[in-house]
Amino acid sequence: MSETAAVERQIDLAALRPARIILHLAGLILAFMAVAPLFWMLSMSFKGANEVFGVNLIPDRPTLDNFIYVFTQVDFLRYLWNSFFVAAMVTIIALFFHSMAGYALARLRFPGRDVIFLTMFATFLISQPVIIVPLFILARALHLLDSYAGLIIPSIFNAFGIFLLRQFYLAVPRELEEAAVIDGAGYFRVYWSIILPLSRPILSALAILFFLANWNSFLWPLTITSDQNLWMVQVAIASFRQQYNASWNYIMAASTVVALPTVFMFVIFQKRIIESIKTSGIK
Amino acid sequence: MADNAVRSVDIAIPAAQKAAGFRLSNRHREWIAGYLFVAPDALGLLIFVGAPMILSLSLGFFSVSGFGAYSFVGLDNYRRMLGDPLFWQSLRVTILYVVLLVPALYASGLGLALLIQNDTRFNGFVRTLLFMPQTVSLVVVALVWQVLLIDKIGLLNRLTGWIGLGAYSWLGDPRFALIAVVVISVWFLMGFYMLIFLGGLQDIPREYYEAAKIDGAGPAASFYLITLPLLRPTSFFVLLVSTVTAVCGSQTFDLVYVMTRGGPANTTSLAIFYVYQQAFLFNEYGYAAAMASVLVVVLMLITVLMFMLTRGGRFTYE
Amino acid sequence: MIKRTKLVTAPLKGGAGINRRGVLASGAAAAGAAAFGFPYVSRALAADSLKFWQFYAPGGGVASQSKWFEDMAKSWNDSHDVKVELVYVPNNAYMDGTKLPTAFASGAGPDLFIISPGDFLRYYNGGVLLDLTPFIEDKARADLIPGVIANRMVDGKIYGLPMEVEPMAMYYSVDAFNEIGLTDKDVPKTWDDLLAVGKKLTNDKRFGVLFETAPGYYQNFTWYPFLWQGAGEIQTKDSKSAFNSQAAIQALKFWQDAVNMGVSPRKPLGGGGWDVVPNLASGYCAMQNVGIWAIAQLREGAPNFKYGIFKLPTPPGGKYFTVGGGWAFVANAQGKNPKAAGEFCAWALGSMSPDSIARVVDWCTKAKSDMPPRASALEAGKAAFDSGFLKIFTDEIYPGARAEPRVPPPVYKAISDAIQACQLNGQKPEDAAATASQQIDAFLASYKGAPIL
Repeated sequence: MSETAAVERQIDLAALRPARIILHLAGLILAFMAVAPLFWMLSMSFKGANEVFGVNLIPDRPTLDNFIYVFTQVDFLRYLWNSFFVAAMVTIIALFFHSMAGYALARLRFPGRDVIFLTMFATFLISQPVIIVPLFILARALHLLDSYAGLIIPSIFNAFGIFLLRQFYLAVPRELEEAAVIDGAGYFRVYWSIILPLSRPILSALAILFFLANWNSFLWPLTITSDQNLWMVQVAIASFRQQYNASWNYIMAASTVVALPTVFMFVIFQKRIIESIKTSGIK
Repeated sequence: MADNAVRSVDIAIPAAQKAAGFRLSNRHREWIAGYLFVAPDALGLLIFVGAPMILSLSLGFFSVSGFGAYSFVGLDNYRRMLGDPLFWQSLRVTILYVVLLVPALYASGLGLALLIQNDTRFNGFVRTLLFMPQTVSLVVVALVWQVLLIDKIGLLNRLTGWIGLGAYSWLGDPRFALIAVVVISVWFLMGFYMLIFLGGLQDIPREYYEAAKIDGAGPAASFYLITLPLLRPTSFFVLLVSTVTAVCGSQTFDLVYVMTRGGPANTTSLAIFYVYQQAFLFNEYGYAAAMASVLVVVLMLITVLMFMLTRGGRFTYE
Repeated sequence: MIKRTKLVTAPLKGGAGINRRGVLASGAAAAGAAAFGFPYVSRALAADSLKFWQFYAPGGGVASQSKWFEDMAKSWNDSHDVKVELVYVPNNAYMDGTKLPTAFASGAGPDLFIISPGDFLRYYNGGVLLDLTPFIEDKARADLIPGVIANRMVDGKIYGLPMEVEPMAMYYSVDAFNEIGLTDKDVPKTWDDLLAVGKKLTNDKRFGVLFETAPGYYQNFTWYPFLWQGAGEIQTKDSKSAFNSQAAIQALKFWQDAVNMGVSPRKPLGGGGWDVVPNLASGYCAMQNVGIWAIAQLREGAPNFKYGIFKLPTPPGGKYFTVGGGWAFVANAQGKNPKAAGEFCAWALGSMSPDSIARVVDWCTKAKSDMPPRASALEAGKAAFDSGFLKIFTDEIYPGARAEPRVPPPVYKAISDAIQACQLNGQKPEDAAATASQQIDAFLASYKGAPIL
């Protein structure tokens, strides 16, 4: 029996190797196509103002001046910190709230559950510029103008995360929680000790997406703050454009700097997303 | 410390029951838990999205100057919409955009996720590269793609010239501009949906695949019989969310705003862009609100339809 | 069969340090800190100062422009009780964004701000612009060049004080001209000339002449001179559309021919047709229709680039016109202290005192390179206006400049659609002009605001 299994395995591997190479090649080609346009961003970051739009990919006279300008002429470190603080806070709070809500909407039974869900989802169907005026009036009334709280609190509430988590929890086998509930555990304990650990992959994915969205957010920070000390990075980058003049080299250099932390975040969190969950003992 | 919090919540309910002098049934305990869990988000959404949304949309029945003058005009804005060729043009463009974009995003997101789902270092590297378009802002996206697609000297035109197809204005020709925007949208967003599918793929227990392999199923059969069905909640999510964001999402709007401003000749004037134009460039808040409310109603209908067809997006298969 | 599981918190493998408890604790701490004001919470800017929203200072991209604003604010603050506070809004967000409309719609508009002629009617008809005439002395009023101030006036009253005039012209690359044996004597004088020269300059790496192609107020702005050159107008004296005219048709056809002949690109590089360094200086085009600001831009971004300037060409039998844009200081009539705001505007730009005139000269010669809106400034800054490239503007281009029209949005859109349809979508100019004219008429029939100019 094991001999045939061994032979089968060998045939398996032989058959797989060319297929695997093709898949790897496909992956590389796609990855290259995804990244290739960004070579220009990198290239423009190292070019002087007069050759930014030259057709050459490699700068004739590469320079670090753009990066130096971005960090010395403008309080860029502060803006990076602002973006980081706001994005991190929103991500943590949102993940917490959304996973609770998503779990309840998927698993718990209570009257009006589906109506509540649909109503929450309805808020996803509106776009930010449409609601920005009443939202601004509201934020002003709540004294959130020109403050971190104003940057953070309204950004937490978005039905996208709730919807995704609900779908995720729908697919989690019921047996786990039912066992725990029979054991006498309270709902919060079930959520905290069983559901949250199980959600690590999806929470990691959402952490990346929430962080990214808030890191790069522009419209709301611009609207809610006039104080330059509270600027976030995209507002700061916008200040490199004037009425009839745009310092594309500074914009690209700053954008390269701004992209790095999010790439870093992705590299760290992506491992967690693909952690396969051994299904905690269901036989 | 958190353990104590957990314990205290679970002690509180029975204690409250005792104090109140009656026992809450299990059903009621579940109700309370449900409402409590949903409360923070429900409250937040109500205050920060729901209320502004209702206020904005109700402006559809007013004529608003933008400087504090409101006058009730009933259905005038809606009548105006019916007779506005630009509105209908924007709807046409939006439908075309959605029809092209949603399948492309679904296929690319799922395809990429399947390609690199295994936990190897090579895959990790490819994954990072595939996600990179998402990490740059749309200003950068617009500029780098402009350089690639620009008339005559852009990289794409050099390639097409080399293979004998001649040079075209991919962003400035009414025939191609919308397609170019779709391609750029897919490039920008595929990392996003790849991530979501990755999360969903991890939902599928490994044992099913192993069992299938033992039974002699090949990769294609595994895909059709295991992956696709078990991905239904995620697929449902992706299709619905990509449709909604294609119609009214900020990313959609930002892309059009930086790349083409609705041009050339209104061929990329998506509905959400036209709404923005009316509201913030033309000062017609009432009219913009009326159009936005039509979009919301249409999306709501689509949502409700999809939920009804899939029994609430629940794909129970037990 | 269901195996009972033990309730264990799944330990994180590898001690990655992202422990749930730790995350929650630090999150709570930070949230608390933010709520209690680390380091900024609801810090109101000094409540009774006048907020001046603009896209130059403090911290705008051009140091000299930022300095001009800051010096002006300091000078006012040193000598007046009510202080002026500069609030910087990035240009793109200021012009096309939501920040200003949101602020005004919620009754929190700035006390002082700047507007372009394209915005004038929107704010005027909304009742937001303060009448500045009482604050401007008669001599100063006479000093303002009539063509420039006309589009900020309603019923003889002045509602905005211009900072600058930015006329449009044609720039060309000296090297490109030399390549085909042309010199500065051969600059095109008529539309046909321009297209012919453009065709000769077009090769497989370069376009002959660049016009703006992105829809927007700016594209309309750059197209109007070609309408006027054929004696065309947007509307007649009795407020009916004059757009369905031979002048409009030929102007639309001019831009259509430029694209169809392959002489003009369908998409400019960089920010758009106004961005001279990515287009002209990079060699993407050999001639570019761009304004006076390009002088400063080229000085900064392409100091070694050799270029020349000539005035807009005219059609057969046409008269030379160009368009002059430029922004103006305005005061919010619904602000907290309109009187002080009005005084500030007049003090800054509309007074006969030497420092006011010097301020205008400095803006137009040192901070930017623009034409001044006042005769006395033209005189006082003679040295600068008569040297270098500014001289061409002073002598040839500026005389013949008409102020940018102020049009309500529906009229703007009708004209914009006509330009786009002809330039990029191959529509027949006769049809486009007729359609636009109908739309303008339909709008004007019920329009009850200030006159369009």
